[in-house]
Amino acid sequence: MAITEIPIPPQVYRFPQSKFIDAVRWLPPLSPLSKFAVLATFDTDADTPSLETHSISSTSQWTPHSQWTAPSRISSLSTSHQLLIATSTLSGSLHVLSAAEMEVLFSIDENSGFHMGPIWGVDVMGSECVSVGEDGRVNLVSVNGGGEKGFRRVYDGNGLVGFNCVKWASPSEFVTGGFGFGLQWWDLRRPGADGPVSQFKGNFGSQGKGSGMVHSIDIHPSRKHTCLAGGSSGTVFAWDLRWQQQSIVLSGVGTGEAATHSLSESEVWEVQYDCYTKSSNITSSRVLPAMFCSEDGILAVVGQGQEPVELLAEPCAINSFDIDPQSPSDVICSLEWEAIAIVARL
Amino acid sequence: MSGFASDPVEAQGGAVVPSSEEVKKPVVYSLRHGVKPPIARLAISWSRGNSLRVSVFRQPSSPENSGFEVGGKVVEVRLDNGDGEISDAQWRRIAYGSVSPFALLQSRKTTVSSLSKMSSNVSPYHVEWWEYVLEYSKDINSLLGNQKSPPQLLIEDPKAVLKKVEEPNGLKAAWELMELFFVDRLSQAWLPERLVDWLADYDGLFSGTQATVHSKLVDFQKNLVSLQVIEDDPKYWEVISSALAVGWLDIVVKLLRLHGSYQLDQLGNRETENGLVEAVAVLISKMPRMRPELEVGKLGECFKAKPDFMKAWERWRMQITKLECSAFWIQCAHHQTREGLRNMLQIMLGNTNNLCTATCHWMELYISHFLYIRPFTMGFESMYSLAQKCIQLKPIASSHRLMELIIGILGENIEVVLAECSREFSPWMVTHAMELLTAGSNQADILLHEEHYNLGGISMEELHRLVYAQVLSTHALTWQIAPIYLTSCMKQGMGLLEILLNKQPVNHNHLLLKNIEICRLYELDSVSSNIMKIAGMYHWKHGKKGAGVYWLQQARDEVRLNRIAQQMFDSVGKSISDESFRQWEGLIQLLGSESKPAGGLDFLHKYRDFKKSLLQICDGKTTDAACQAVESLVSLMKNPSTPQRFWLPLLYDSLKLLSWQERPLLNVLQTNLLLNKLQELSIARLRPDFIEADLPPHALNSVRLALAGNLGRAILEE
Repeated sequence: MAITEIPIPPQVYRFPQSKFIDAVRWLPPLSPLSKFAVLATFDTDADTPSLETHSISSTSQWTPHSQWTAPSRISSLSTSHQLLIATSTLSGSLHVLSAAEMEVLFSIDENSGFHMGPIWGVDVMGSECVSVGEDGRVNLVSVNGGGEKGFRRVYDGNGLVGFNCVKWASPSEFVTGGFGFGLQWWDLRRPGADGPVSQFKGNFGSQGKGSGMVHSIDIHPSRKHTCLAGGSSGTVFAWDLRWQQQSIVLSGVGTGEAATHSLSESEVWEVQYDCYTKSSNITSSRVLPAMFCSEDGILAVVGQGQEPVELLAEPCAINSFDIDPQSPSDVICSLEWEAIAIVARL
Repeated sequence: MSGFASDPVEAQGGAVVPSSEEVKKPVVYSLRHGVKPPIARLAISWSRGNSLRVSVFRQPSSPENSGFEVGGKVVEVRLDNGDGEISDAQWRRIAYGSVSPFALLQSRKTTVSSLSKMSSNVSPYHVEWWEYVLEYSKDINSLLGNQKSPPQLLIEDPKAVLKKVEEPNGLKAAWELMELFFVDRLSQAWLPERLVDWLADYDGLFSGTQATVHSKLVDFQKNLVSLQVIEDDPKYWEVISSALAVGWLDIVVKLLRLHGSYQLDQLGNRETENGLVEAVAVLISKMPRMRPELEVGKLGECFKAKPDFMKAWERWRMQITKLECSAFWIQCAHHQTREGLRNMLQIMLGNTNNLCTATCHWMELYISHFLYIRPFTMGFESMYSLAQKCIQLKPIASSHRLMELIIGILGENIEVVLAECSREFSPWMVTHAMELLTAGSNQADILLHEEHYNLGGISMEELHRLVYAQVLSTHALTWQIAPIYLTSCMKQGMGLLEILLNKQPVNHNHLLLKNIEICRLYELDSVSSNIMKIAGMYHWKHGKKGAGVYWLQQARDEVRLNRIAQQMFDSVGKSISDESFRQWEGLIQLLGSESKPAGGLDFLHKYRDFKKSLLQICDGKTTDAACQAVESLVSLMKNPSTPQRFWLPLLYDSLKLLSWQERPLLNVLQTNLLLNKLQELSIARLRPDFIEADLPPHALNSVRLALAGNLGRAILEE
C-alpha cells in the first residue's frame, strides 16, 4: 500500500441549539458570503416541531433566518436545487416549502388517505416528490398540483411491507429501502407492474446477528445504476443493478473481508456519496467514496478498497448530515445532544 | 390527590401552590384552563418529567345551558427546577457536557485501582490522583459559565468602574469553591488569595439577600454620571473604602483617579490634596500579594516565597504608617478627602473596626482579614475559627446557600457539604461534586463508599448517582445518558437500567433502535429481545405486519411467530391463490433467508416457490419445470410447519402434476407419502375443530383418483 500523507484534521465548529434536531440540509446560499442551511427541530419544552433556516457567515456567526411551525414532528427532509424543501411528518402529512421565504407551496394532510402513520422517507427531484412510509405505501406528489387527491399512489403494501427511505435515480425511477436490508427498484415507465421492478435482500447477518434495516440511500447522478445504502450494524453497501444478486460491502460487521475496516457497529443513519474525497483509481466498476454518520457518533468516509477516514468521533450520536453541493469540503451534521456541527475539510 | 374542591375565588386566578419541605418560599404557577367556575373537582398527578398534570372539572350544569360550555380540561404545569438562574436547556447542556469528563474519570479510577493492586511501587511517570480530578473539575467548570463573552469596547469608558462580565451563577461559584478547597493542591499555599478572587467574581450573587460591596458599587455606578463634585459625596468614600476592604484594588485606584483634584484647572490650588490621593493610590497598587501571578489589569506585587513576601509586607506597612504620620494631612483643606484617605490607610493597616464598617457581610469581612490582618491563615482549623469570629462580628441576617456551603467546607464536615449540595443545588451537583470531595480525603472516601443498611445496602455515592440518573430518565432527551451513571452503580444500577430500557416507547423506529443500541453496549441481550418483542407486537397490532414480523424475527420469538403465522394463514388461504399474490411478495422476501427463525412462516416462502413453478407449467413450460414443482410439493408436504389445512388445496392445485401426460412425475415412495397425508387428512376431518378448505366438494376424490393413477403408473415404470 502506498504511503499516504497524514491528513490534516478537519476544522469543527459546534453550535448548541437547545432543541432536538431531527434532520439537517444545506440550501443554496442567499448571499455569496454566507452559507444557508435548514434544520428540522423539535422543541421538547414547548412540544413544537419546526423548520428553521439559518445563515452561517464565513466567520461562523450563526443567524436564524426564518421559521415555520410544523403540524407534527418532522420525520424526513429533502431539498431540491430550485430552493424547494420537501418535508414529511410522523403523523403522515407532507409539506413543500420555498426555502427563501419559508412559504408553504403545497401541503397534503394526513387525513386525505395519503399515508397511514409516519412517513419515513421523502425525496424531491425537480418538482416531483416521492414519499414512503411504515404502512408500505409509495406515493407520488407533484408540486405543481395535479390529480384530485393531490397525489398518485404507486403502490400500497398494506402494511405487509414498510419502507424507511427513498431516493430518485432518474425522473422515472427511484429506489426504496426497508426491512431485512431490502432495496427495491421502481420504474414508473412500466405500467401494470404492480410492485418494484427488481429487489435486493442483503444477507449480512452471518455472525449470529439478526438482520437489519436500510436507513438511507444515495444515488450518484452520473452512475444511476449503483445504489448506495446504509443501515443497521454499521453496514454501508452498494447495490449494482447490473449484478443484482450481490452487493459490495464498504463497511460493516459480520462480513469477513470488510470486517477489518469497520468504523462503526451501530446504526448508520445517513449515507451520501462524497465527491470531495478523490478515489485513487476511478473505474466504472468501483464504487465512489461514501460518507456516513452513525449512532455511535462517527462521521467517516469509506471507499472500496480504501482505508476509511474518520472525520468526527462524537460522544453522542450523529443523526444526520449533508455535504454542501456548492463546496463539498463542508459538511453539516446534527448531533444527538441538541447541537449542530460543521466540519470544514482542508 | 384528587377530590380537592377549590373555592371559586382561587379558580378565577387559577393558581396551584405546591408545598414541599424543600421549597422555602411557595411558588405560584398560574394556570390558564379556561373552565368557567364553579370548579367542582381538581385532580393532580405527575406527568412527564417535571410537569404536573392538572385536571379541572366543572360542576355538571343543567342541560339547557350546557351546550357550549367546556365540562373540564386537562392542563400541564411545568415546575421549575428550583434553580431559576439556569434554564432547562442550559441544564441539559450541562448534563450532556459532563458525560465525557465523568466517564473518563471513572475509567481512570478503574485503571488506577487495578494498577495499584498489581504493583505497589509507584512508577516515575505517576500522575497524582488529584491531578486527574483537577482536570475533570476544570472540564466541568467550563460547562457552567456562559459561553458568550460581552464584546470588548475599543475605547474604555473612564467612568465605567465595574466591568461588565458574564452573569455569575451560584452553581459555578459553588463548584469553584469545592475545587479550591478539595482538589487543587498547587494553590493551597495561596488559598486566601484564591478566596479573594472568588469573592471578587461572585460577591454579586449575595446581593439578592443582603447588601454587598458589589451592590454598593452597582448603585454608585448608576449615580456616577450625575455627580458634579465627586469627592464631596460621602458615598464616594464609602464605596472606595468598601472596595479596598475586599481587595478590589483596580477599582479603588480607578475611583481615586476620578478625584476632583486631578482636574487640570484645579491641580494648581489642590496640589497637596492631589499628592495625598496619588500617594494612597500608589501604595494600593504596590500592595504585596502572596500569590504566583495576577490577572492582567489587577494590581499588587506578587511574591511566591513567604520570606520575600514578609519583607515586602513589612516595608509596605511601614510606608503606610509613615504616610499616616505625615504632616501633609494638616495642609489638606478638603475635609472629606482627608477623612476618606485616612480611613483607607486604617483599612490597609488592618484596623478591625474600620474593616468591619467597610464590609457588608461576614464573607467580606473574612476576606478583608486575609488581606490586611492575617495573610498566612492556613489549614481548615484556623480558617474555620477565623470564619466563626467574622460571623460573630457580622451575624448572618439571612442565610445564603453559598455561605452555608462555605461554613460546611471550613468545618470539614463532608456530610454537611453533601447535604447543602443536594438541598440547595441539584442532583447533578451532588453526583459530580462527590468526585471533588473524595479527591484528597480518605475520610470522605470511606464515608461516601460505606454501605448503608437503611439505604438498601448501597453507598451514599450510589444513592446520589441513582437519584441523578432518575432525573435524567424523566426527560425525553436526556434518558440516553442515564445508563452511563446507572452502570457506575454497582448494586442497583443494572436493575434500574433494565427497567428504564424496558419502559421506553417503541412506536418510533429511531428511538427504538437507539434503545437497542444501548442494550448492545451493555450486553443486555435479554432486555433487547424483550424490547423487540414489544415492538413486534405493537406493529403487528397496528396493522404493520411486515414490521411486526421483522421485529419478532429479530427477537427470535418462535412462539409469537407461530401464533401470528396461524392468523396469517387465514388471509393467505384466501388471497394467495388469487392474483394479489404480489402483495405478499415483500413480506415473503423478508422471511426468505434460511438462517433466521420464522416460526411456521418459512412455509410461506416454500409455498411461494411452489406457486411460481406451477405458474410456469401453466404457461406451457417443459417437464423440467414440472419436476421442480413436484420437488417443491413433496418438500412442502414433508415439512412439519406446513399447516394441515393447506394439504388439500396444495394437492388440488397440483392435480396437473399428479396426472402428467408424458410420464408419472412422482415415484412410488413420494406417491405413498402423499396418500398417507391424504389419509391423515380424512381422519382429521372427523375432529370438530377441523377447518374445511374452500374447495369444490369433489376435490378430495379427484386428488385421490389422480394419486392412485400416478401410483399405478409409477409401479409399472419401476
